[in-house]
Amino acid sequence: MRRARAIAIAITLTLSSLWSPRALASPEDLFGYGARSSAMAGTGAATSSDFEAAYTNPALLSRISVAKLSLGMLGANFDEEASGDGLPGRIQDHSARGIDIGADLPIPFKGALENRVAGALAFYTPTDVVVRGRILYPETPQFPLLSDRAQCVAIRMGVGADIGHGLRIGAGVAALAEIVGSVVVAADSTGKVGTRIDDQLVATYAPIVGASWEHPWAGGTARIGAVFRGALAARFSVSIDATKLSTLNIPVFNIAGLAQYDPLQAGLEVGWENAKWKLAVGATWKHWSDYPGPLEPTIPCDDPTDCQSLGVTRVGYSDTVVPRAGIERSFKLPAGASFHARGGYFFEATPVPAHLPASQAYDLVRQALVNVPTRYFDTDRHVFTAGLGVSIARPLRLDVDAFAQMHVLAPRTATVEAGEPDGSASTAKLAGSIVVTGIQLGVGF
Amino acid sequence: MKARLTLSARLAVALLLSAPLARANPLDTFGFGSRGTAMGDAQVADAHDFSASYYNPAGLALGRRFEIAIGYFRATHELETNGKSNAVDPVAGLVGGILLPGKILGIPVAFGLGLHIPDDRLSRVRDLPQTQPRWELYDNRNQRVYLAANLAVQPVPWLALGGGLSFMAATHGTLDIEGDANIIDVKQSQVRHEVDADLTAIRYPQFGARVALGPRAALGIAYRGQFALNLQLSARLRGAISLGPVPTPPITTAYYSLVSSSIDAFLPQQVVIGGSFLPADRLRMNIDFTWIDWSAYKTPVADLDVSLDIPPPVNGWPAGITPPTVPAKTVTIPLVMTDRIVPHIGVEWRALDRANCHGFLRAGYSFQKSPIAAQTGITNYLDRDRHTMAIGAGLTIDKPLSFLPGEVRFDVHAQVSVLPTTVTTKTDPADLVGDYTAGGYIWNLGTSMVVGF
Repeated sequence: MRRARAIAIAITLTLSSLWSPRALASPEDLFGYGARSSAMAGTGAATSSDFEAAYTNPALLSRISVAKLSLGMLGANFDEEASGDGLPGRIQDHSARGIDIGADLPIPFKGALENRVAGALAFYTPTDVVVRGRILYPETPQFPLLSDRAQCVAIRMGVGADIGHGLRIGAGVAALAEIVGSVVVAADSTGKVGTRIDDQLVATYAPIVGASWEHPWAGGTARIGAVFRGALAARFSVSIDATKLSTLNIPVFNIAGLAQYDPLQAGLEVGWENAKWKLAVGATWKHWSDYPGPLEPTIPCDDPTDCQSLGVTRVGYSDTVVPRAGIERSFKLPAGASFHARGGYFFEATPVPAHLPASQAYDLVRQALVNVPTRYFDTDRHVFTAGLGVSIARPLRLDVDAFAQMHVLAPRTATVEAGEPDGSASTAKLAGSIVVTGIQLGVGF
Repeated sequence: MKARLTLSARLAVALLLSAPLARANPLDTFGFGSRGTAMGDAQVADAHDFSASYYNPAGLALGRRFEIAIGYFRATHELETNGKSNAVDPVAGLVGGILLPGKILGIPVAFGLGLHIPDDRLSRVRDLPQTQPRWELYDNRNQRVYLAANLAVQPVPWLALGGGLSFMAATHGTLDIEGDANIIDVKQSQVRHEVDADLTAIRYPQFGARVALGPRAALGIAYRGQFALNLQLSARLRGAISLGPVPTPPITTAYYSLVSSSIDAFLPQQVVIGGSFLPADRLRMNIDFTWIDWSAYKTPVADLDVSLDIPPPVNGWPAGITPPTVPAKTVTIPLVMTDRIVPHIGVEWRALDRANCHGFLRAGYSFQKSPIAAQTGITNYLDRDRHTMAIGAGLTIDKPLSFLPGEVRFDVHAQVSVLPTTVTTKTDPADLVGDYTAGGYIWNLGTSMVVGF
C-alpha cells in the first residue's frame, strides 16, 4: 500500500516537474504561507503568482514565468491567558520560529505547452523542531490548536496549468510524518528481560487541488479561484506489549494520539488586479467536526460490554468558516523597480465549544475514578495583517517582502465541567494575542 | 507489575530510538542514481545532474538545463551467520531530484534537491541488546529518508563551488503513564498516558569544489559533515496494582522513573577526493578516494538511570507473583571503529553515438575494509570487508517530443557487494553467543530517468 502510494507520488512528481514531499501542514493553516499571502490575510486563491500558490491555489502556479528561489524567516510569539479557579492565568507556550524556502519552477515546454505549465515547491521548517507531538492530560490548561500546530515542517509541492479560455487548474500534495511502531518485552532463553523495538516514521499525504477562471474587467483582471485541501493527520502510535514477559496478565499499552491535524477545507475567493492594485475577498470552510481530538485510550476497548478501561472524552468540535480580505497597492520606482504595500483581515472562528465536558482519571489518593476538567481552550481570532515589499529588476531580479500579523484572541468565557475541586463546573476566562512577523528574499534566475 | 515497570523503561527507549531518522546515509552504501551507482560511486569530479546533490554539490553549477529526475532501487541483503540468514531487511525506494540552473549577474548558478524516500517508512529504529548479533552497518542504519538542498556557482569557467544542507531529525521528550492496573482482568485497568515529544531538526553541511583541468580532465573534492544526536528522554509511571476492578482497593502502589541518555544517531564526516578523465573520445574514467571518520562513531547503546519504589502489599504478594526489581545497569562496551579510506573507480563507454541518441555502458568497483574491530568480547556488531562491483547502461535521447526541447536519459544499474565469510572467535569459551561465521552478499538493482528541458 505504501509502495503504491510512493509510486503515485512518483507519477505526480513526474507530471508536475517537482520532487516529492515529506512534510507537515499546520503553520500555513495558522498564518498563511509566504510573506505576500500572509500580509494579505492569507488570501491568494485568486491572486497568488508564485510559489505561495502551492498552498493557496495550485492552479495559479501556472502564472509563474521566471525561475525564482526564495528564502524567508518567520517568528510567532504566543500570549495566551486562561483565568479562573485552578487556572494559571498566563499559559506558557513555545514561540514558533522557522525558515521558508520557496522555489518557482516554470517548466520550459515548447509548442502547445509553452508558458502554460509551472510548478513550485514550498517548504517551511521550524528552526528547532521537525514536529512537536504534545498530547497532554486533558486537565492541563492548554490551547491545543495554536502554538503546537505551528511547530512542524511543512512541505508542499504542486503544478498548475493554463488550459486556455481563462481557465487554470492545478494539483499538489502535502504530507505529514507520523510515528508508528511496537515494543515487545519478553524474557529470553537465559531468563533476562529482552525487548524488540520496531518503530517507524512513515509519511501520510493529503491532496490539494485548485482551479481558477479569469476575465478582463474594469481595466484589470478579475479572477475567481477555488481550492480544496484534504485532511492531514499525523498520529503518534506505539504499542507496548509485555504480555509474554511472565504469567502476569499485563495490558497492552496503546501510547497513541493525534500529534498534528489539519482539517479538510475548501476555499473560494474573488480577486481583481491591475498594475497598481490587487484586491482579494474570500472564505474558507474547515471541516473541524471530523477532528477526533488529540487523545486515544491507553487500553483500547473493542467490545465496550467486556471492557471498562478509561475512555477519552469527545469534545464536539464544529465546522468553521474563515472570511478573509486582502489588498495590495503597488508603486512604480525608477529602473523597473516597484514598491508594494499590503494589508488584510481575517476572522478565524474557534471550532472548540464553549462548554467542555469532563474527562475521567484514576485518582491515586482516593483510589477511585474521578472526573477531571477538560481544558482544551481556544477562542475566536481577529487577525490584522500588513506588509511591505520591494521588487527590483536590474542588475538582478530581486524581491524583498516583509509582513506582520496581529492575532487578537477574542475574550471568551468557557464552562468547564468538573473544574472546581468539589467536582462542579467552573468558568474559564480566555484571551490573548499572537504576534507574527516574517521577511522573505527572492532571487530570480 | 514487573512487566509494566519494565515496559515503561522500554517504552522510553522506544521513544528515544523512534527518534532518530537514522544512524547513517543509505546513499553512502548504495549510491544515488543509476549512473553514479554503476560507476562505483566515483562521481566527485563527474556528477553534474541531480545526483550532484549527493556526490558533489559543485557539479550542479555545470548543469545548463532544468532537470527533473525520478528513479527507484532495491537492495536485497543475503547476510548470514553460521550459514543462516540474518533476515536483514531490504532497502528500497524512490530516488529523485531537481536541478534548476540559471544566472545571477551573469554568473552561472544552480539550485539542486536530492531525495530518497524508502518504500515503507521515512525511518526505522530498532533497539537491540549489545550482545545480540546484528549487522551494524546494514541492519537498520540505511532505513531512512534522505533530503538535501544545495546551491552552486561557477564564478570562472574552470571552477565550480557548491554547498548545502542535508536534513535529519531526532526525538526527545517525556512520557507519563498513570492509573490502576488490574492484573486479573486487564480490560478493567484504568490507565491513561501523556506524551510530550519533539522531532528535532538536525542539519549537517556538505560542500564541494570542482576544478576543470581542460576539456578532458577534472578534479573534485567534497565534504560531508558529521552529526551526532545527544538524545535524552524521561519516563514516569505512577500507579496502583489491584486484583479487581475499581473500586477494589489496590494491594500496593508503584512509582517508577527513568532517564535515558544516548548518542543514537551518528553519521561520520567524510572527505572525497577524485578525478574524472577522458582518455579517449568515447571513454570516461573516474577514480575517487573517500576518507570516512569511523573512529568517531558513537556506541549506539542508551545510558539508563532508573529508580523504582513498590512497597510490598500488607498481606504479601499473591502466590506466584514475584515483585519486580530494578534492572541492573547496563555496562556499555565501547564500539571500536577505525577510519577508512575507500577507493572507488568507474568507467563509462559511449557505445552508441547517433545524431539524437547516445548509448552508454558503465562499470565500477569499490572496496571498504571493515571499520569495526573484531568482536571477540560480549558485543556482536557484525561486519566484514566489502567488495562492491557494479555495471550499468544508459540511453540519452535528444528532443524526443515536439514539446520537450531538451533530452531524456534512462539509466539502469546492477550492483553486488561481496562480504567474504570469515570466523569470529570469542576470547571467552563460555560466551553465550560463541564463535560464528559471518558473511554474504548485497544485491542492488535500480533505474532512473532524467528529463531535461
